Amino acid sequence: MSYVNFVKKYKLEIAMILPLLLYILGFTIYPIIQTITLSFQDQYTKAFTLANYREIIGKTEFKQAFFNTIALTFISLTLEMTVGLVIALILRRNFRGKGLLRSLMLVPMGVPTLVSGVAMTYIFGLYGYFNALLQKLHIIEMPVDWASGGFKTLLMVSVADMWKVTPMVILLLSAGLESIPDEVYEASNIDGATAWQTFKYVTLPLLKPSITMALILRAIDAFRIFELVLVLAGRATPVISTFAYDEYRNYANVHTSAAASTILLLIIAVFIVSYLKIAGTKEER
Amino acid sequence: MREVNISEKISKVAYIPIAIIAAILMVIPVYILFMTSFAVPSDILKPHPDFFITRFTLDHWRSVLASGNLWPPFRKSFVVATITTIIAIVMAAPAAYVIARMPSKIKYPVVLSLFFTRMFPDVGIALPIAVQFIRLNLMDTYLGLVMAHLIVNLPFAAWILVGTFETIPKDLEEAALVDGTSKLTALSKIIMPIALPGIAVTAIFVWLNSWNEFTYALYLTISDRTLPLQIYYYVQRGGIFDSATYAAILTIPVMLVTFFLQKYMKSGYLAGAVKG
Repeated sequence: MSYVNFVKKYKLEIAMILPLLLYILGFTIYPIIQTITLSFQDQYTKAFTLANYREIIGKTEFKQAFFNTIALTFISLTLEMTVGLVIALILRRNFRGKGLLRSLMLVPMGVPTLVSGVAMTYIFGLYGYFNALLQKLHIIEMPVDWASGGFKTLLMVSVADMWKVTPMVILLLSAGLESIPDEVYEASNIDGATAWQTFKYVTLPLLKPSITMALILRAIDAFRIFELVLVLAGRATPVISTFAYDEYRNYANVHTSAAASTILLLIIAVFIVSYLKIAGTKEER
Repeated sequence: MREVNISEKISKVAYIPIAIIAAILMVIPVYILFMTSFAVPSDILKPHPDFFITRFTLDHWRSVLASGNLWPPFRKSFVVATITTIIAIVMAAPAAYVIARMPSKIKYPVVLSLFFTRMFPDVGIALPIAVQFIRLNLMDTYLGLVMAHLIVNLPFAAWILVGTFETIPKDLEEAALVDGTSKLTALSKIIMPIALPGIAVTAIFVWLNSWNEFTYALYLTISDRTLPLQIYYYVQRGGIFDSATYAAILTIPVMLVTFFLQKYMKSGYLAGAVKG
């Protein structure tokens, strides 16, 4: 079929899909190209340069932000996947009150990320509920300043992130569990496998594709973490996105901000490619 | 052997307490937020704040509602979310229909690309947009924010709607076409009515996405704040009761809708839709 005929035959379809395509091209692809271009431009002469990258890599804040982003992703993912898996396994059973418990566990989905950050500031504040609880249990004497930076701030942000996204992990893993046929469990039951053995040798291997997908999707989100860190940790604990924002808003430097964004983009691209690789091999099977 | 016994016990008995504790922990932050917005300051602002308050006050709600600082951001967030939703559906629904009817060899990559356009970091896209908008005088405008919110929501809406249209059998429209109906009439009279519930659910999710949106609003606002920015403003100023009350106002519609649409919260809808 010639090009003209194709257009003639599908002119309605083309008209229907074109606005969406153009918008994505103009408002997503083009800005990303612009960001990458800006990151390689000299601030004054607009000539090609690597100076922006050199500048941010030389900054302590960026090194911190880079390390924090990776540490946060690692801690949050470990927490979320563990808790999410345990709850998804529990919700696979049938027991009285399951519907109510399930609804309650999905409550964080109905809370905007920004608001979850606000609620966490009341819990992890210097005179917040968590310090008060630890003091009542005589675990600590003096209140801990969770937002002062370092590992404890990373832990606080990870817990906040975990609270917000564990429901999503539960849903992702539940969908994976549902796809495991009951016969498999019956067979392992007949063979006299214990609960732990069933989990280790039946559930976990069969759930591995869902876990991998959930991990990659969650990792992409965790690398982009922005408002939670902004609200909870301020500038004491930067991540790559808050660093990029800071460079733009407070130092008015578009080019270094773009360089930080480009690095983030690169990390995410690596994850997207690995997702495609895994999804691809799954399909071939 | 010991390990095995413990695992048996956990799987037979301990799972209910674990589930109950997890459910309680999931609800506590929301409880604290709403409770704070009704609390008497002296019960909260002390080294050991009360968890169960006995005295309630409407002062914070009254002062927020009367202050004149609520309605302009509320209106901006509401209007922007509504316009974004209308445009997103009008643009995404026809496109999603076409994608759903593509041969699967083309469809799979197209759907995947839609999915991944949502994975790009917002700060990377918002930056050049903000630079452009300063030049075009679009900072602080409703139009500018609607255009920015469409960036996130067009691929999101299209992606969900492809799923909706895929469930409608192709035979239906083919039968209509054989009867001599035009493509356009078949679409508007037969396909769209069947797809309407799916479109409605998508519209609600888009509306909520825009209502909550923070990053683009932060980049594209100088003085005319949206509701989420207003919350951030009070958080920075350290106004606990103001921020709790504003946060409660932002959260109420989201919670209601999420609760009633729980059965639509399939994992696929939300993968990547919830940002950190």
